[in-house]
Amino acid sequence: MATRNQEAFDVAEKLSTYEWGFTSDLEQEFAPKGLDESTVRFISAKKGEPEWMLDWRLKAFRLWQTMESPDWAKLNIPPIDYQDAYYYAAPKIKPTLKSLDELDPEIRRTYEKLGIPIEEQKVLAGVEGARKVAVDAVFDSVSVATTFREELKKAGVIFLSISEAIREHPELVRKWLGRVVPIHDNYFATLNSAVFSDGTFVYIPEGVRCPMELSTYFRINAENTGQFERTLIVANKGSHVSYLEGCTAPMRDENQLHAAVVELVALDDAEIKYSTVQNWYPGDAEGRGGIYNFVTKRALCQGRNSKVSWTQVETGSAITWKYPSCVLAGENSVGEFYSVAVTNNYQQADTGTKMIHLGKGSRSTIVSKGISAGKSNNTYRGLVRVGPTAEGVRNFTQCDSLLLGHECGAHTVPYIEVKNPSAQIEHEATTSKISDDQLFYAMSRGLGQEDAVALIVNGFAKEVLQQLPMEFAVEAQKLLGISLEGSVG
Amino acid sequence: MTALSLPSSREEAWRWADLTVLPALADQGPSGAGVEVPAALGDGPRLVFVDGRLDAARSKVGPLEVGAVDVRSEHPLGRLATGAGWALRLGRDHSAPGLVEIVHVGTGGASHVPGLIALEDDAQAAIVETFVGDGWANRLTAIRLGRSARLMRAVRLAQTSGFQSLRDEAEIATGASLVTTVLAEGGAGSRIDGHLRLTGDAAFAEMGGALLTRGEQRHEAAVVLRHEAEGCMSRQTWRAVADDTAVASLAARVEVARVAQKTDAEQSLRGLLLRRAATVNLKPELEIFADDVKCAHGATVGELDARALFYLASRGVPPAEARALLTRAFVADALERIGVDEVREGFAAEADAWLSSPSPQRGEGGAQAEGLGG
Repeated sequence: MATRNQEAFDVAEKLSTYEWGFTSDLEQEFAPKGLDESTVRFISAKKGEPEWMLDWRLKAFRLWQTMESPDWAKLNIPPIDYQDAYYYAAPKIKPTLKSLDELDPEIRRTYEKLGIPIEEQKVLAGVEGARKVAVDAVFDSVSVATTFREELKKAGVIFLSISEAIREHPELVRKWLGRVVPIHDNYFATLNSAVFSDGTFVYIPEGVRCPMELSTYFRINAENTGQFERTLIVANKGSHVSYLEGCTAPMRDENQLHAAVVELVALDDAEIKYSTVQNWYPGDAEGRGGIYNFVTKRALCQGRNSKVSWTQVETGSAITWKYPSCVLAGENSVGEFYSVAVTNNYQQADTGTKMIHLGKGSRSTIVSKGISAGKSNNTYRGLVRVGPTAEGVRNFTQCDSLLLGHECGAHTVPYIEVKNPSAQIEHEATTSKISDDQLFYAMSRGLGQEDAVALIVNGFAKEVLQQLPMEFAVEAQKLLGISLEGSVG
Repeated sequence: MTALSLPSSREEAWRWADLTVLPALADQGPSGAGVEVPAALGDGPRLVFVDGRLDAARSKVGPLEVGAVDVRSEHPLGRLATGAGWALRLGRDHSAPGLVEIVHVGTGGASHVPGLIALEDDAQAAIVETFVGDGWANRLTAIRLGRSARLMRAVRLAQTSGFQSLRDEAEIATGASLVTTVLAEGGAGSRIDGHLRLTGDAAFAEMGGALLTRGEQRHEAAVVLRHEAEGCMSRQTWRAVADDTAVASLAARVEVARVAQKTDAEQSLRGLLLRRAATVNLKPELEIFADDVKCAHGATVGELDARALFYLASRGVPPAEARALLTRAFVADALERIGVDEVREGFAAEADAWLSSPSPQRGEGGAQAEGLGG
């Protein structure tokens, strides 16, 4: 009996706080606080980058200084002091790792706590035939471990941290970096172009189906740091890759900035599936602290029959500003966007997608589920654009909002811009609350109120959760429940 | 008027707007050229404004007031309309004597006219406004409806050239009802702005209409329906038709304040593209702060339904006629809420005439021009 009680206490303890809110005590190396050209040069030098890369960063930085922070989103963003942050923080590790054994045990423990298998043997020890996941772990500003390199190499897949890729495959990086999100794209993307410190580079050669799921875990650890990672995935003709991304950060009273850029390129018949479970620290119940998550994600479906599918589960961050998009340039290319965004307490989310149809017969599907609780605000903002030469375009958009409580807000801002009469564009939206009947039924079957709400919310988000790879789906379901903790009753 | 400060398309609410013609129009003076004034629809009160000034000879003022009107607006275009205008004030339980007509005739240049419609409890009125001629007609209309008052308002934008900008600001009290229908059909561009507030319980507001564009024309509607009380109902039904290289844009927003439980709001925005290179922009927006509400919105863009065309062809209807029939039906959805029969029929006839008239860019039949399947 005593054990059971202890278990219950443990679970309650776990649920009552942000489980990932610990910090790791590590020796860190920082760039001097503040942001000017010397910061950009420092980061570039630290990475041992070639001249062209430094020029690219400096160009972006100079441009950024002339730009203004966007203000069109339904977000209340307190002024950000860009000089009061560190733009580079790295755990002090040995310059080159021969094996994972040399990884700082503290970092290892951090990832263990996060439940992320960065040790290959751990994965291998699993059930035979279980799916393998190759992991790149980004700790503050640098990538600390990338697993399964050998096996991926055999398949011809390049899966490296972007700093390594710049050194080892400069021609590939130079060809594609900034092609989908150019340096002048928007305020936060330009800032990222100037100061990005690490991230992931993936290249899938022609005709290759990536033998395992690829995954990156981002972790902000150090205080007063911003994280600016850059992800670039290129899927050559006829290739296929599934990529997972997860994020956590410690609990802190101050706000930290995360401004990432993700670029995907799919050539003829290639398919990229990109799944995110975003669980940055959302701030406490009073709205103190939390991550500002200002992310630019865009895919270029350049080839015929290419396909990109974005799936996101957004539960964290104090403020989310994020619109994973598809430029559907290829004939018969396909873009998909499946999203669940949960906001509680004082969280704000303005998220959605853009589907730019340029290719004939291109199709897109948008399914967005917004769940607002507490005093939060949750906005879906989407754009569907059809160019004049894109014949036979189809789009279907569904935006559903669920309101839990009467102090939150749910907003829908869809833009539809069509220049070709053969397009068929449909948009549907609903806003609802959890009905008393549903709740009563679930509770009459013996579920507690919180569990009943979690069950109903999971049902509401089912269409999206089904799109997630197995490993993530379980985590995402759990997260939904935890994020809505305390929102009812 | 050279110091005209206009919103730019970098501002979110003006993203699709093109106001570039306005400074030139504002700098011109009226030409004084003769413009045919449409015949009166009934024998009710009628005001004819020529370049923003009352033409007393052709007007029948009745219970209307003409002169300085005290209405103010923060709206970038609406705030320009100050000074002399018109007002309709009706006391408790009063009805306007017949259909009220306001005709705005422009001969060039810019005219800014404010209007006020104030109906006390249980009063009711029906108003038709018509815009003809040329120049920039800028109008601000303040509407105040008392408890259970009813107002039916129909606006026809039929200037042959120039620009028409409307700004409606309404407060609708308990149980009151406002229905505004707009038909934009002339050769001029337009921007229709509305901010309608449902301030009393169980109030009703509807704003909708049809935007018919061709050539290089641009019509745009940007309407906000704000629910500030319980149990209110609102409807926004808009239809946009775009031909040639024209642009028709519809931005409709429903705002539900925290107190506005039991809101029932619907938006239906539909666009019909008659030709490649024409553009329809839609933005059905919801901003909801109450949890017990029913807000539905639907938006579609496309061409005429191939199956419906096929069906009509199989019944022996020639393709051109079939296209015209379906286009008429598409537009009719937005005009059927006009409560006064002769006004509704008049508007439908105007829309029909537009659909079958030649496009200035091609000089051929409008909606019928493009063959089956494009």
